[in-house]
Amino acid sequence: MAPTVPVQLGRLVQEAEALAGAIRGSLGPQGGQVLLTRPTGEILLTRDGRRLLEALRLEPPTARMMIACVSMHCSVTGDGAKTFIILLSSLLRGLQAIVDKKEGSPFFENIQSRERNKNKCYRLKQISQFLMMFQARILDHIMAQYLRKHLLSVFSSYEAEIRKDTMESLLEAYFCGKIGGNNQKFLSQLSCEFFYKAVTSKNSRDEMLNLVDEYFAELHTTVTGLPVSSSRILEGLVLHRDFVVYCPANGDRRVLIVTEPICPVFSISGTAFVVNAESQYQASEIWITKRTEAVMKYLQNNNVKVLLSSVKQHEMVNYYARKSGISVVECLSTEEISLLCKITGISPVRPSWDNIHSEITETAIVKFCQTLLVGSRRYVHICLTRTCAFQPHNVILCGPVHGVTEQHASAFHGAFKMLQQLFKVVDLNTICTQTDLQKSSKICNEAATESTSAIMVPDQVNTSKDCLNEGNPIVSFKSENYRNNVQCCSNFIIQAGSVLPVGGNFEILLHYYLCHYAKQCKLPQIAAVSTVIADALLSIPELLYRTKQGNSFPRVYHKAISAIRTKQQLPTNQKGLESVSCKYQLVASVLQCAAKLLTIDMVIGIKRPLPKTEQCHPEDD
Amino acid sequence: MSRIEVKKPSLCTNEPFSTESVSRSLSVLSEIVKSCYGRSGRLKQLHNGMGGYVCTTSQSCVLLGGLSVTHPVLKLLTASVQNHKSRFSDCGLFTAILCCSLVENFRRLNLVSCTVIKISKHLLSLCTDYLKSEACGCRISVDFNSTKTLLCLVRSILTSKPACMLNKKEADYISTLILKAFLLTIPHNVETNVALGKCIIVPVKDKRVADSNLFPGLLIEIPEFEFPKFPVKRVSSSTIKMALFCISMSGDFLGAREGTVMVKHGVSLDSAILDQLLNLSKQMVNDGVGLVVCQKVIHPALKQYLKEQRVITVDRVGIAMMEPLSQMTGSQPIASLHSLSSSCYGSLKDLRTETFASKEFLHLIPHDTLVCSLILCNRNETAWGELKLACETAEHVLLLTVKQPLALLGGGCTETHLASYIRHKSFDMCSSTFKDLCCSPAEYQIVSDAFCCSVESVACCLEHDGGEILIDRHYGHFWSVESGFPSDSDWSNLVLKCGCGICNNQQNLNWCVLQRQCGRFAPKSCYNETCVNSKDDLVLDCFTAKYNGLQVAVETANLILEVSCIIEDQN
Repeated sequence: MAPTVPVQLGRLVQEAEALAGAIRGSLGPQGGQVLLTRPTGEILLTRDGRRLLEALRLEPPTARMMIACVSMHCSVTGDGAKTFIILLSSLLRGLQAIVDKKEGSPFFENIQSRERNKNKCYRLKQISQFLMMFQARILDHIMAQYLRKHLLSVFSSYEAEIRKDTMESLLEAYFCGKIGGNNQKFLSQLSCEFFYKAVTSKNSRDEMLNLVDEYFAELHTTVTGLPVSSSRILEGLVLHRDFVVYCPANGDRRVLIVTEPICPVFSISGTAFVVNAESQYQASEIWITKRTEAVMKYLQNNNVKVLLSSVKQHEMVNYYARKSGISVVECLSTEEISLLCKITGISPVRPSWDNIHSEITETAIVKFCQTLLVGSRRYVHICLTRTCAFQPHNVILCGPVHGVTEQHASAFHGAFKMLQQLFKVVDLNTICTQTDLQKSSKICNEAATESTSAIMVPDQVNTSKDCLNEGNPIVSFKSENYRNNVQCCSNFIIQAGSVLPVGGNFEILLHYYLCHYAKQCKLPQIAAVSTVIADALLSIPELLYRTKQGNSFPRVYHKAISAIRTKQQLPTNQKGLESVSCKYQLVASVLQCAAKLLTIDMVIGIKRPLPKTEQCHPEDD
Repeated sequence: MSRIEVKKPSLCTNEPFSTESVSRSLSVLSEIVKSCYGRSGRLKQLHNGMGGYVCTTSQSCVLLGGLSVTHPVLKLLTASVQNHKSRFSDCGLFTAILCCSLVENFRRLNLVSCTVIKISKHLLSLCTDYLKSEACGCRISVDFNSTKTLLCLVRSILTSKPACMLNKKEADYISTLILKAFLLTIPHNVETNVALGKCIIVPVKDKRVADSNLFPGLLIEIPEFEFPKFPVKRVSSSTIKMALFCISMSGDFLGAREGTVMVKHGVSLDSAILDQLLNLSKQMVNDGVGLVVCQKVIHPALKQYLKEQRVITVDRVGIAMMEPLSQMTGSQPIASLHSLSSSCYGSLKDLRTETFASKEFLHLIPHDTLVCSLILCNRNETAWGELKLACETAEHVLLLTVKQPLALLGGGCTETHLASYIRHKSFDMCSSTFKDLCCSPAEYQIVSDAFCCSVESVACCLEHDGGEILIDRHYGHFWSVESGFPSDSDWSNLVLKCGCGICNNQQNLNWCVLQRQCGRFAPKSCYNETCVNSKDDLVLDCFTAKYNGLQVAVETANLILEVSCIIEDQN
């Protein structure tokens, strides 16, 4: 029998705290770097929480699950791994306090008849359900109703233009947590420059960000051995290959993409070529040669000057390409080919060449095409006329060692992920799905009947009626037409481009309003959960303000709270900005993760790998 | 059956600099690199203790490549130096020493690391701005009208590698050869796209250094039995037609990609292909080709036929030789066995045979010398390897100098001059700078002192024999004297000339012992055209390489200081 271990909340708290301890040193603008060594002996510098956590290679399955949740969150938002773990650890600690409390706990119900362990499990399960409900119902409501009026927008006017200095402070705040102190400013300026160079118009911004995110590996080049300050942005694309044949050309130059060998072969798969006589064989070989020559001539006549191929071409092709003045680049990756196709809007040509007299349509015009010497490597530097939203640019990232360039590349990539999130609208439709509603309907019903009146707070007077109904799902739930309400909703929780100044502003605001909510909420369980979450949120600014010079957090907190009370602007001494939608998603993911952890009651060790569900075909057995 | 390997958890070390092991291993590495530096540097012998190859060296790339450092911080440092070296070939030890002493000196300061990093970055920008500016007193511009400065540059590189075992005469000779070779690779008619040729080093060991020689064109080593015993066929007295093939001429079958090829009984594909090859050869013979060179293998039957027709064949030259061959002869590598157009042929001026230390070479002499072969000799294997590396470094440095025609004063003078300049400059910083850097003037002063000390300590490493190092308070140059003199003696009787060789003891330069009672002064520039051109034994360093090395060293030191935690994967 395999060993089974019951999962205890105390152990979860310990694990989360150990993880938080590991990354605490690199949190915040003053945080240090972490030097990782890989099993291959490579070294890597990082401040990226996700990388760090994954590098720890922990054994406990629950800790691994926490890290998996972090990775999942980071792959979407590109940020927030460190905050995630710190929030999770203090949230679990807070929950443990409620569970352990015997008297007066809202979760301590009259179930003495059950045995103790089951009782505990039941309580955890209950908390988990409340967490899920809180995340699905109440968080949105608080975001939409209270926090919204504090949010700033990155757009300088209604036309959705972004000023450069706003962008810079946004990116600088991002890089502050990601890379070494020496290069934060430089890299944030570089990424800002990249953004403005790559974007063609404000309408196509999202498309551009998606493309950069998807093809970042093809859009950056790393060079070691040079100082970081040699990094720069180049117009056009850098293909990470050298020319096989390079013929400089002028005038009307076109590019053609192929994904198959141009040179004909004796027989293709499934067919056989029968050699009857030696002369026949010789004739066929001559025909192949002539054919290749003719195809290359045909390309030359169509002004094709650059041939981009995803496969290796026969030497004969290169020979005739050189004679026809066509440059050849081969062995391009499928990603490179698809990026090229997306940018130019052309598709690869299948070299059947049945008709080699008609005009080739699938070509794009080349602005320039040259060899680029980066470090000691030779790459192809090509600029094509674009037809998509992305003005192709390549960023060259230099650094003394590979570990640094890799860190910068991943931070650069993350910055564009963060921007992608920033311009997304978080709206109610996407958040509350039907299943969520049904799951928590029982609890919600209770909550709704008890606390309808209590949820009405005087602050809501200035918000529109629509928002009132929409933003407070607990109220709307009672009415029969909530379904229509949700569907016709045009009201967003967070508008695109919402930001807040850095330095724990988001956390303090959310803390304040959660406490506020908890006071008014009649349902004790919800009130308790809100208070725990509110307190957990404070752990982040608390850590941020704890420096070697002393802890300035109480002062900052006091100032901020009194500012909220008197309805003033939050005091801030830093000019950095951070995306609210990333922060919002972070809180939501942490709640989900915690809820998920609490529902597990046992870990079972098994001796063989788990079969993957998708590979389980009955035929295989 | 799939097996899952259990991964070990990683080892996590917080605050690595509080532990003893880092500083200990750092000081060991620092001692190794420091003792190798300069022309009187000590040699290191690398061997694995198990009967492996023993290598004697003082060059950073061999040394750091051979050492197996285990500590992650040191790995970062050595990787950084090696990457610099692979880009610029020169100033590897300079970078390593500077980086080590920066880390050691900054660690002693007991300041918050982010303050130190900010200030050192600012100091670095002072250095780079100064080196880039016209007013810089430790750089000279290279005059391409005379070979003097270039020769000094090459000679300085060769003499700074003591493991090459060259005496002064040999160093002069090899320097001349390297410079000659470099000049040969520059094309005569300069168009918009300048492509430099190539110098190919041909190894000949167990011969005297003085037997080294330079040949314009290409030397291809061929086995003795293939040595041509007939005069080569010429088109005219000074033209030999040649064909260059980049595909195999051994009669390989072109092949079907995915399908199958069925051959009927009695049909021989081999003979079909051989027939084709013979047809091709016939055409070449008719076209008057005198030399056939193939990257891959030529069929023996074809070789025999061509030999009978008095055509010289050379095969298996390899891909590395293809570019110089086609560049030098103007021939296009042929990749088809069916159609030969006369535009593919290249031409040679002459073809000779040379015998060198029991090796037979075919010497291809082109019309336009873009390619040359340097026969490099040295007494033994390890000294030859060291000399070859030095030659490659020198070649690379010459190329970098052509791109940026500047050179820095060598022999420690640049370091002492730069340190005096930074000392002087950082003394009167305006208060807005401190505000930008978020530091106090006192903090700035402390970091700046540590920075200058580290730069000077690189110069100090040039002295290995216990001598005293002086600096003059006028130009800020480096002077070394033998040990054993009181510090208040009249230094002008003891010094001869400064490290780089520009200044001598004639001028009264107000000497003092380096890093002792020197005070602050603004170093002046001693460089003027006449003074540089009149001297032909200056010690110079490559500007581009040292400039980059300085930046990389400071950046790496900052990276190391910033490390707050180490996670080692133990799988």
